[in-house]
Amino acid sequence: MKIGAEQVRHVARLAELAVREEDVPRLTEELQGIVAFVEQLAELDLAAAPADAVVIGPRALQLREDVVDPIPMVRGAADLAPEFAEGFFIVPKLGGLAEE
Amino acid sequence: MSAATLAAETARRLREAASLNATLAWSEEALEAEAALAESVPAGPLSGQAVAIKDNIVTTVLPTTCGSRILEGYRSPYDATAVRRIRAAGGIIAAKTNLDEFAMGSSTENSAYGRVRHPLDPERVPGGSSGGSAALVAAGVVRSALGSETGGSVRQPAAFCGITGIKPSYGRVSRFGLVAFGSSLDCISTFGVTVEAAATLLAAVSGHDPLDATSRAVAPLELPAHRDDLAGLVIGIPEEYFPEDLDAGVRAGCDRVIARITELGATVRRVSLPNTRYAVPAYYIVNPAEAAANLARYDGVRYGVRRIGPEGDVRALYRATRGEGFGPEVRRRILVGTFALSAGYADQYYGQAQAARQRIIADFAAVFASGVDLIFSPTTPTPAFRAGEKTADPVQMYLADIFTAPACLAGIPAMSIPVGRSEGLPIGGQLTAPDMGEASMIAAARVLEAAIDPAAEVR
Repeated sequence: MKIGAEQVRHVARLAELAVREEDVPRLTEELQGIVAFVEQLAELDLAAAPADAVVIGPRALQLREDVVDPIPMVRGAADLAPEFAEGFFIVPKLGGLAEE
Repeated sequence: MSAATLAAETARRLREAASLNATLAWSEEALEAEAALAESVPAGPLSGQAVAIKDNIVTTVLPTTCGSRILEGYRSPYDATAVRRIRAAGGIIAAKTNLDEFAMGSSTENSAYGRVRHPLDPERVPGGSSGGSAALVAAGVVRSALGSETGGSVRQPAAFCGITGIKPSYGRVSRFGLVAFGSSLDCISTFGVTVEAAATLLAAVSGHDPLDATSRAVAPLELPAHRDDLAGLVIGIPEEYFPEDLDAGVRAGCDRVIARITELGATVRRVSLPNTRYAVPAYYIVNPAEAAANLARYDGVRYGVRRIGPEGDVRALYRATRGEGFGPEVRRRILVGTFALSAGYADQYYGQAQAARQRIIADFAAVFASGVDLIFSPTTPTPAFRAGEKTADPVQMYLADIFTAPACLAGIPAMSIPVGRSEGLPIGGQLTAPDMGEASMIAAARVLEAAIDPAAEVR
């Protein structure tokens, strides 16, 4: 498929990633190249997928007892956060996010 | 050697290797503290050894940046399980090593803190993304180091630098404290100056960890007994890993190994892994999709650096922090991953990539079920390339992972050992084993290591 500049801007918004307008043409070209490369997967016939296919990851996931087992931390949120006060992470006003 | 002497010696070597740009953090004070700690634990398999740690594995004393501006100065509140296990085995932590930003890359050119130099030729790359760890081991600063693999980030730099790199089975080593990148792929993996050094470190950090839900409930890896030869083994040679355009030096190096495998008593069998060509395209959907999800946590609120955009609201905070904090390759993968998961495209791209992944898993399963014990192939299509050679075209850089991505997609163990040199540059040979088959793979690698001169020119 053909990737356009508007699609790049849309995906960047979804990803909460500021993209400079002057970078959009280059990003569009790079994304187009990557998408064209991965499109060779379309050759695969999905209907002919092996029935006993193994899935990695979830298969290895172990269920554990639902108990809290705190790990010792040498520093806390107040040391790590860019802005933190009285037990709260400080952020700017919600702005456009509040309307969604 | 006392731990204090080891610490002082390690500091001296790190200073001498500074021109490699292989480290992101180390200090004499931290080394002295490590030495004091090592004196207090019983002697173990890593006693007398300093181990370097890729900077996407968290430590409380030294900062963890993942090679990114977005984590500049970040200090973790806890140590990774692998780090704690190194100390419990008697080892000391030498340094945090340079990497491609968030482990995204195959050359260590994507680090926000400058590229790592190849120890044999500063104009070339050491591979990546664990290039700093590989360079320190190859330069003789440490005997072993931790890296991480998502698509080949330990085996590929091991091959480029002429050392051993082992990627274990998925879940063999706890990922508690490994900064998440591609969660269905990521494995802490090890480098060593020898097979023994890499295997000893792997055994020390392996084993079940209740702090990682994907850690397998099995006992730590036990190093296999020594074997004199490869008698009784069937070694598969996959035709898809020897394409027409394979580098002539890599081919010559691997052909020499195949001849030795026969002389050492194993049966060589030609096999096929027909879906190999889909591995890199499938990987470059699955990996960015998982990366886009995992990297959503860098929002400028809870930790890391913060930037606030012109609108001054919380969304401007997210966008500016991420837009300025992430480098070009990370931004690229987040965009590709977000695209591949977005409405209308998820089935076409992500669904198709998962289907390809299942074929690749089934390919390996069929070969191992047919009586093949181990698979031998080149680790990389070429020896170390020049810095800047592949940076203009992301897809060309991605193809550096062509022989390493399949084992990551399948979750099975694989390792690279040095098998010779072509025009002075190291060549890596790769052994791949079935799930949890590390012990027999390591035993065979030791035999090959003893039978092959890695410094010999093969062309």
